[in-house]
Amino acid sequence: MMSSFWAMVQRDLLVTFRDFWEFAYRVAMLPFMFILLFGFILPTIGQVPEGFPTLMFAGILGMSVMVSGIHSVAIPISLDFGTTREIEDRLLAPLHPRYVAFSKMTIGVLEAWLGGLIVLPLAWLIMGANLSVTFENVGYFVPILILAGLTSASLGLLLGTIVKPPQIPALFPGFLIPMVLLGATFFPWPELSAIPWLQVLVLINPLLYVSEAFRAIFTPEISHMPVEYSLLGMALFTVLMAWVGTRRFVGMSIR
Amino acid sequence: MTQTILNVENLSKTFSTKNSQIDVVRDVNFEVNRGEIFGFLGPNGAGKTTTMGMLTTQIRPTSGEIILAEKSIWGNLTDTRKRISIVTQHNNLDRGLTARENLLFHARYFNLPSDEAAKRADRFLDLMDLTERADDRVVNFSGGMAQRLKIARALMHDPDILFLDEPTTGLDPQSRVLLWEEIKKLNAQGTTIFLTTHYMEEPEQLCDRVAILHEGQLKALNTPEELKKLVPGQNVVSVRTGDVRDELLSEAKTLPEVEDATAEMGTLRFYMKDATPDLGELVKWLRSQDVNILSMNLHLSTLNDVFVHLTGKGLEQR
Repeated sequence: MMSSFWAMVQRDLLVTFRDFWEFAYRVAMLPFMFILLFGFILPTIGQVPEGFPTLMFAGILGMSVMVSGIHSVAIPISLDFGTTREIEDRLLAPLHPRYVAFSKMTIGVLEAWLGGLIVLPLAWLIMGANLSVTFENVGYFVPILILAGLTSASLGLLLGTIVKPPQIPALFPGFLIPMVLLGATFFPWPELSAIPWLQVLVLINPLLYVSEAFRAIFTPEISHMPVEYSLLGMALFTVLMAWVGTRRFVGMSIR
Repeated sequence: MTQTILNVENLSKTFSTKNSQIDVVRDVNFEVNRGEIFGFLGPNGAGKTTTMGMLTTQIRPTSGEIILAEKSIWGNLTDTRKRISIVTQHNNLDRGLTARENLLFHARYFNLPSDEAAKRADRFLDLMDLTERADDRVVNFSGGMAQRLKIARALMHDPDILFLDEPTTGLDPQSRVLLWEEIKKLNAQGTTIFLTTHYMEEPEQLCDRVAILHEGQLKALNTPEELKKLVPGQNVVSVRTGDVRDELLSEAKTLPEVEDATAEMGTLRFYMKDATPDLGELVKWLRSQDVNILSMNLHLSTLNDVFVHLTGKGLEQR
């Protein structure tokens, strides 16, 4: 069973890396534009405070991890079930379809990390001068990385089983952008206490926990959610979304 | 001695939609023997693909049993899937991969050792006449090539039974005949084949036994020869002509030697009462009606005639 599973993971890796530049472009473009605008242009012309790049550094990283993972899982699943049916050969392999879903999530985690890795040097390069990043609470780094990847991949799985191919264009303005803008990307979550209803509402946004967790280790001097809470948030969302997503995935494989 | 490989008992499937329940397959029973080519014949919408979906663990039956090699197919999903293979009607090849990679990854999903997989891939690429295109991405493959590659892929894990859903739909006549030859070759090598089709020629060319499915129900099951004996009148005269006029048909039906007459696509068909009909009389009548005869042939009744006899409808119409 494990060898079938790894074969499926390798198939996805091969396909991703075959079109690596396409992948890199898709992953890097959105964070690049945000970094350029909020991290370079606006601070340079004095429209945002000098500390703003530092404030949004963790958020941009969180966003890149989340968006790349979601993208790499949700869109192929939606297209596979709705149009290309490419996945059928894997769904009919001698293992339960839930493992096919897990293989998709594995790829999601890997691509989420890769998304973060691509954006890091971009951030340094463009915002370097305005950035004050430390690396504290190192012990939390690995669990945060793992949970951030899993949160992203499980949300991708869930979305992939919900969104039909004709709805994919709506995914960007209708889901990803609201998630990014309200995911504690450009503001630290504790500061939302000024708008209490919003501070509670944004807790349904999985990206919030990812951004806040990165904030805790990269820019700890900026106010952030206690890291234990953001870890717990990511873990709970992962379990919930992976569970529902896998059930839906299996239901679509064996009708 | 014939040995049963697949046993289907009281199989039914009902799909529920918001407002209604649709019985797509209704209480279907049949057996498939090891080594035979078994055909499921019926028009579009008869329930063929749904039945095949259930036989291949893609759709859960509402009720009924499917026994493969004496075990329920749902009892051990992993084992069942190693024994079966399905070639779907639609193209579900992996477009991100080359033809050879499609075969090799399939082999890996089925845990084949890599040296054996490579050998089998070469063999089936050759068998399906795809060696030259083996390392091209499959995105640009024609319908016929994609179909042959799907069959090659299905053979990689050496299934006991190969399911082909409408294998020649959408293929040009040449590719179709080529594919029939491939299917016969495979069967000669020992693969049991289950195919669905809405073309009457296909089971006539290929199948040892044919089940006729209509509106989810099995109407008949036998060898093509035996099935054709169900039709009264055994010969059909086809006349290709440029001008098919409606009044011709109604008048033809009144002729003493004609049981029935139909017309489609510039061809008149006369179902003759006599096993050795007097063609001279028919030709004389056609000339008297000023019908321009382009060609004319006499043939034994077909499975389409059987289908019409059993259901009152043709295979091509819903």
